[in-house]
Amino acid sequence: MGLIAISGQPGCRFEEVARITAQRLGFELVTAARLAGLVEKEFASVVAVPDKAYLDLVASIVARLATSHHLVLCSDGLELLSKQLPGMLRVHIVAPDSVRVGNVMLDERLERPAARQSIRDREEHQRTERKQRFALSGLPAHLFDLILNAEQLDSERLADLIVNAANLSGLIERGFLSAAAEAQLQFRSRLRLSKHGIVPPDKVALPRRLFAHPSEQIFANLLDFYRIPWDYEPRSFPIQWDREGKVSEAFTPDFYLPEFDLYVELTTMKQSLVTKKNRKVKLLKELYPHVNIQVFYQKDFENLIFKYGLAERTVQV
Amino acid sequence: MSPDLPAGVDRVLFTQEQIEHRIGELAIQISERYKDKNLKLIGVLKGSIFFLAELARQIRVPVKMDFLAISSFSNKSTAPGLVRIAKDLDDSIEGEDVLLIEDIVDTGFTLRYLLQTLSSRGPNSLAVCTFLDRTSRRIVQVPVEYRCFEIPDHFVIGFGLDYNQLYRNLNYVAVLKPDRVG
Repeated sequence: MGLIAISGQPGCRFEEVARITAQRLGFELVTAARLAGLVEKEFASVVAVPDKAYLDLVASIVARLATSHHLVLCSDGLELLSKQLPGMLRVHIVAPDSVRVGNVMLDERLERPAARQSIRDREEHQRTERKQRFALSGLPAHLFDLILNAEQLDSERLADLIVNAANLSGLIERGFLSAAAEAQLQFRSRLRLSKHGIVPPDKVALPRRLFAHPSEQIFANLLDFYRIPWDYEPRSFPIQWDREGKVSEAFTPDFYLPEFDLYVELTTMKQSLVTKKNRKVKLLKELYPHVNIQVFYQKDFENLIFKYGLAERTVQV
Repeated sequence: MSPDLPAGVDRVLFTQEQIEHRIGELAIQISERYKDKNLKLIGVLKGSIFFLAELARQIRVPVKMDFLAISSFSNKSTAPGLVRIAKDLDDSIEGEDVLLIEDIVDTGFTLRYLLQTLSSRGPNSLAVCTFLDRTSRRIVQVPVEYRCFEIPDHFVIGFGLDYNQLYRNLNYVAVLKPDRVG
């Protein structure tokens, strides 16, 4: 079972390390946001997940996913899942204050005092959450297999170390979590969750980021390269309604770049379909004037995108 | 097509005379703005070298020069890696008035990264001067104080800009033949 839990101090770019590690190993990345989405989707009937039930609930979801995916988990405290899922690689990333403040200044465009305060706030939030969810007041080193210092190593080098550790420990060779092991784990989790009145779902689906077109994958890679956060098709905008007021047509832009509050639509299709899409974009702009959208038509972006996949060369970006 | 144009070149977009004239106009503006400053031109390798050299020749205030290079995106591997400084500046820019010289600004991705990196090094001021600006492809809004030419959405070569590392030495800017693109 390929299962790696990566956490870290705020500001040391552990999320970036997790993403690169997942890319290099071909694992599925489950971030805190993605995990929260799964919890919300699968346990929508549960008004609020009790803190004490959180780890069992996550264990139940991760065990389901681990039967068909190798995973990199990037969320605080998930190293504790090793009790239920032994054999996982647990990694924690640290860095001196000066490095973390510098990272936050760069990544979030903050002045030094604001960056320092942002880190303090997140540390406090992390401490509170660990105490409430996992009954941990500190961060004992023995909970981790690897503790890495990001002071002199950048995210790519840190990911290299984790990939090496994963290969040395034979994570992938062990295959996915067996059905029998999963059933046993689910039985124990269900028992504990039942005390909180929570019934885990029978099936958990991890929505994979399957891109509709290869150029979208390339564009996602390009955004990753430049450390630009993105979401793929995060929102559909209704653009037409029938007489009864039901949505009859919606438009889902390909990418959303939260840092710039910008949607990006890539249009690499036939000219005959471009007219249809133009109409949708026009309606979107009329109905949602506050929404920023940039459309890349095939002509616009064939230089920008397609060359990446066709020629290894410096490109004009 | 002119018989004088090399293979692969579709047409000339800006002639050498047009380029030199326009750079001269920019040099006057820059000389005025930086007349009492410590101007340092920072060129982004390799595309900006011709532009930087011509601009520096026409600027009428003393200038320092330095260069940096960043890693290039390649989609050949499944993991694209991360942008990083491939060749750093030789000297500190703390307290200096930096004018970042780019060959072309397109999506703004590269420039955003460079501005983030350089602004953290304590320059007195940081501004951008680009040879070409292709605003139609802009995704990231980045401040561009000086631009020589705004260009349409064609793949352009010459005066430092390349295709597969070729054509940088053309003393004009040209459009690459469409059949060479992609």
